Amino acid sequence: MEDILGLLTPALLNSSIRLATPIILAALGGAICNRAGVLNLALEGKMLLGAFLGILGAFFFANTYMGVLVAVMAGGLLGAFFAFVYLKYDVNLIILAIAINLLILELTVYMMRILLGNVGTWSDPSIQKLPDIEIPIIQDIPVFGDIVSGYNIIVYLSWFLAIAGYVVLFHTKFGRHIRAVGENQDAAEAVGINSRRIQLFALVISGALAALGGAFLSIGHLTLFTRNMSNGRGWIGVSAALFGFSHPIGVFLAGLFFGFADAFAVRLQNVTDLPPSLIQVLPHFATLFALVLVALREKLSLYMAKRRSSAALRSGSEAATAD
Amino acid sequence: MDRARRRKIFDAMTVPVLSIISGLLVAAILVLFTGESPWEAYKTLFSASFGCAELSRCALFSMLERATPLILTGLSAVVAFRSGMFSLGQEGQMMIGSIMAAWLGYVVMLPAGIHPVFVMLVAMAAGGAYGWIPGWLKVRLGVNEIISTIVMNSIAILFLEYVVNFPLRADAGATAHSHIIHETAWLPTFFPGSRWGFGFIIALAAAAAVYYFLWHSSSGYQQRMAGQAPLFARFGGIYNERIAIRSMFISGALAGLAGAIEVLGVHHRIITGFSVNLGFDGLSVAILGQVHPIGVVIVGMLIAGVRLGAQLGLQIQMGIPRELGGTVIALIILFVAAEKFFQNNIDTFRQFWERIRPKEPVGELGED
Amino acid sequence: MTNAVEMKGISKFFASSNVQASSNVDFSVETGEVHALVGENGAGKSTLMNVLYGLVEADEGQIFIEGKEVKIGHPDDAIHHGIGMVHQHFKLVPSFTIAQNIMLGMEPSQYGLLQPKEEEEVVRQLADKFGLPVDPSARVGDLSVGMQQRVEILKSLQRDIRILILDEPTAVLTPQEVEELIQVVRGLTELGQTVVFITHKLVEVTKVADRVSVMRGGKMIGTKKVAETDIPEMARMMVGRDVLFRVEKEAANPGEVVFEAKHLTVLSESGVPAVKDLSLQVRAGEILGVAGVSGNGQSELIDAIAGIRPVEMGSLHLENDSLDGLDVSARRDRGVAHIPEDRIHVGLNMETSLEENALLSRENHPDYNRWGMLIRSAVRKFASSIIDRYSVASATPEGGIVTLSGGNMQKVVVGRELAGDPKLILANQPTRGLDVGSIEFVHKTLIEARDEGAAVLLISVELDEIFSLSDRIAVIYNGQIVGEFAANEATEYQLGLLMAGGSLDQEESAQKKTPAEALP
Repeated sequence: MEDILGLLTPALLNSSIRLATPIILAALGGAICNRAGVLNLALEGKMLLGAFLGILGAFFFANTYMGVLVAVMAGGLLGAFFAFVYLKYDVNLIILAIAINLLILELTVYMMRILLGNVGTWSDPSIQKLPDIEIPIIQDIPVFGDIVSGYNIIVYLSWFLAIAGYVVLFHTKFGRHIRAVGENQDAAEAVGINSRRIQLFALVISGALAALGGAFLSIGHLTLFTRNMSNGRGWIGVSAALFGFSHPIGVFLAGLFFGFADAFAVRLQNVTDLPPSLIQVLPHFATLFALVLVALREKLSLYMAKRRSSAALRSGSEAATAD
Repeated sequence: MDRARRRKIFDAMTVPVLSIISGLLVAAILVLFTGESPWEAYKTLFSASFGCAELSRCALFSMLERATPLILTGLSAVVAFRSGMFSLGQEGQMMIGSIMAAWLGYVVMLPAGIHPVFVMLVAMAAGGAYGWIPGWLKVRLGVNEIISTIVMNSIAILFLEYVVNFPLRADAGATAHSHIIHETAWLPTFFPGSRWGFGFIIALAAAAAVYYFLWHSSSGYQQRMAGQAPLFARFGGIYNERIAIRSMFISGALAGLAGAIEVLGVHHRIITGFSVNLGFDGLSVAILGQVHPIGVVIVGMLIAGVRLGAQLGLQIQMGIPRELGGTVIALIILFVAAEKFFQNNIDTFRQFWERIRPKEPVGELGED
Repeated sequence: MTNAVEMKGISKFFASSNVQASSNVDFSVETGEVHALVGENGAGKSTLMNVLYGLVEADEGQIFIEGKEVKIGHPDDAIHHGIGMVHQHFKLVPSFTIAQNIMLGMEPSQYGLLQPKEEEEVVRQLADKFGLPVDPSARVGDLSVGMQQRVEILKSLQRDIRILILDEPTAVLTPQEVEELIQVVRGLTELGQTVVFITHKLVEVTKVADRVSVMRGGKMIGTKKVAETDIPEMARMMVGRDVLFRVEKEAANPGEVVFEAKHLTVLSESGVPAVKDLSLQVRAGEILGVAGVSGNGQSELIDAIAGIRPVEMGSLHLENDSLDGLDVSARRDRGVAHIPEDRIHVGLNMETSLEENALLSRENHPDYNRWGMLIRSAVRKFASSIIDRYSVASATPEGGIVTLSGGNMQKVVVGRELAGDPKLILANQPTRGLDVGSIEFVHKTLIEARDEGAAVLLISVELDEIFSLSDRIAVIYNGQIVGEFAANEATEYQLGLLMAGGSLDQEESAQKKTPAEALP
């Protein structure tokens, strides 16, 4: 037991935050789509595309930040394509997402092999990892400085984007329109809000965010690309978005929970014989539990409404018979 | 065969066939990047997967072996979709089935013949139970089945990870895998040197069973009516809720069977990362196969063939990365999904054809 | 004084349903009045208002707003010209507050950020100005229906609306809420607003409106000052008397009471009672016609008898058995047949074949089911028998139902439901949307079933149909039976009056207009 408690070090939190970053970014994208009423299950593919094009961009422009930019733009474009097909041909979003995920999974490896040689993993010594940034003053604060300082730009971006996402969704006109479209499209259209444009925007942004998470994997965390590099993180992002009730801050915390579970599982494996996957599964169970809770809450309020009306009816009819 | 029926079959086939052609055309551009001729590439792809040089190493057999889990997970999706449940849970249910098979194949001693049957039945029950949960959550609490099945897939993947690394781990080798199951539990293969075996027969039987169940049994009738027209079903006294849960159980059982057959007939154990994406391929098979058992069998073989041909033909013979196969499949699904894209054109064409076609008496179509 | 709204020669034909919803309609609303637009369902009043609000484009006609001719192709245009509409289904975002809903699309913001305080202040002032108090920070999802409607009205007013269209605003309200709404509407006109009030309840017209226009069958029948007309006259205009045909039938030979509903209360989808303490009886060999304007609880009544909708209070009996607690299948097994109102979505499954449509509710019957497997040949034979017996044109058992015409579709429904000699036939608007030939056919079939001893409960909004089929007539209004007649003793005028919420006492004292007091 002491072994386990001994694991709770700043280093563990560091790696939690690193592992959480791509999940948080994808989940933020998923949350915006949920809010706009378009279930985005293609986060996995978008993240993988970002990982692939991120490292390619960093290689060809010999600049890692250019790689990040390429990834983000590509993710946005894929999101736009997704939105175009959905809005124009009325395609089932889920089938579309399945196709896109598969397409990116296969196409990235195909392109890697024909462009970069017949390899399963690609890297090049010329590619620089995104530098870690030490925040002056804060880095010197004991413990807190260790936890908060020393990450690359994408990690800080993910924090900023969570807050920005919260401000945009809940404190700007545009964000309110997004939520209106997602909750009642008719209501939004009735006051002249262009719901298609809103959904297009949500899909583009979520593509860019997921791709940014992918770039973190290939040029932020490591400097290599490998087949199926996202490895289910996009799907975890879908779960994290739901677990965080599609609220950017909630989603951020949910992402951290998933990241922490990952990091803790790895440490645990090094120190004890306890199964890491049993730790990793916890946030998934929590997600399922959250889904059930949300459903129960709705069920309950419906039931209460029915009961109220039924009670009112009974007392009314008793009064009538008493007359 | 009367005209209505011919037309129905024609309608069901048009979009998939056009999609396959379009998918192959787009992928041809990708082949051009490699400097090879697309025509040659496709010829190699198909001859490598559907050919059979000699019985000992016959590509056709491998193709049929690989088609087996695709057909079963495809059928799993068919049962769910036809009953109005959009379940994406085949992957997780399949893993639960394979875990049960790896476990019971190893710890239980039973005579050959009985052993695999017992294991498959338990695996089906386990997969079915794993499908029952999201079904129940949907019907009783209104939890969206798409989302709950995705989360449950993740849980199953991690559970398999755990099982392979801990309770069932065979040795401390590099990749974690479980013990080889007892030979009594193995499903027989047809030819030495190939793993194509009895599992394929089971898959075909399952396809027939699903077909008879959905289109020739009263339960299947209720299932389809509830899926197609919920108000109609309720009006006629069919319990939509009960049926949705039942369909999820059957769907899960079929996926669980797929997992069991992968263990009993092919790998004889489970490995980390076992069968990842087979569930999603099953969904693709169901969608491309027009959510019909016959379509699923055909498309299951086609997709297995494309994947195998890409590996054996393109990659080994021509040096074209085998991922082209998966890319082609993804493109085809994309085109099928964008059905309207074709439908608009087909309708235009059909109107044009109806105009220029010599008139024949079709019978009165009704008075208003 | 220029009219607020002037619509001239509006015509609209819906090709998809083959309905002339509006033919050459003139309609004008004076500034500052409450103008009631009345008519039965399908009379064309909603279509006319949808044209005015830009939701439907008219084939022909002109619209003048405050004297100027305008083109309205989209609700945005309508709002731009000062026209607002409150629909029957509210367009509100449940998780938003009242203020957020009212200000949606026109939120005040500073440096790109929303100003919730300012927003609530604006709404508070708006509410004060029009005397419609609301709590701007309350969540809309928690509000009563009446309050939500108030939010919708305020939402329109915030957009500088001068002409407000209320589409059947009282359909979803409780009686107290209706009273409140009437006060609100009167108050709005005092502040210079013009209101168009769509309804089919004539009592409300007398309470709220200055003038009334009556539509019937897509035509404008006339416009009257409310002070110069009364409920009986409006009812006469609304119901009309263009009798199409009468079906030949023998006199009924009623037997025992087959079906009885006692003190039945049924809730609607939204949890409000739609059928209230209703009792009725149907005898073997008779057709009881229930007349009423649609939306007065008919569908809930039928669905409750069929077992589709739960019964809140009261009991149902078929012959000597209680139907309470039995599910749909069990009721069908005991001899309840049901011809539903909506054959496209409820009566039939458009995605499958004729024979599978015919099979519904018989899939477990031993004639068609052996060991759980369907006997396809028997099913096909049954489907063929329906096709032959009812001469369903150009149909095969395996053919898709969707290729049939409406009349032939209904023949399949009727054939399925009447096979097996049911004891009680629930016919909910069985001829809705059918052509004359098919109507006649359905009528004859129902009479045949009656002659063979079935009890028929017929729901119809068409008085013609009620008269040509019924042996006894009941009128349903607001979830209650408000009158019962032997068929030969009732007049269309009497029924129309009751259907519109009037009472028969008025008929005698019809000279002067004191309708409100005369109500039950």
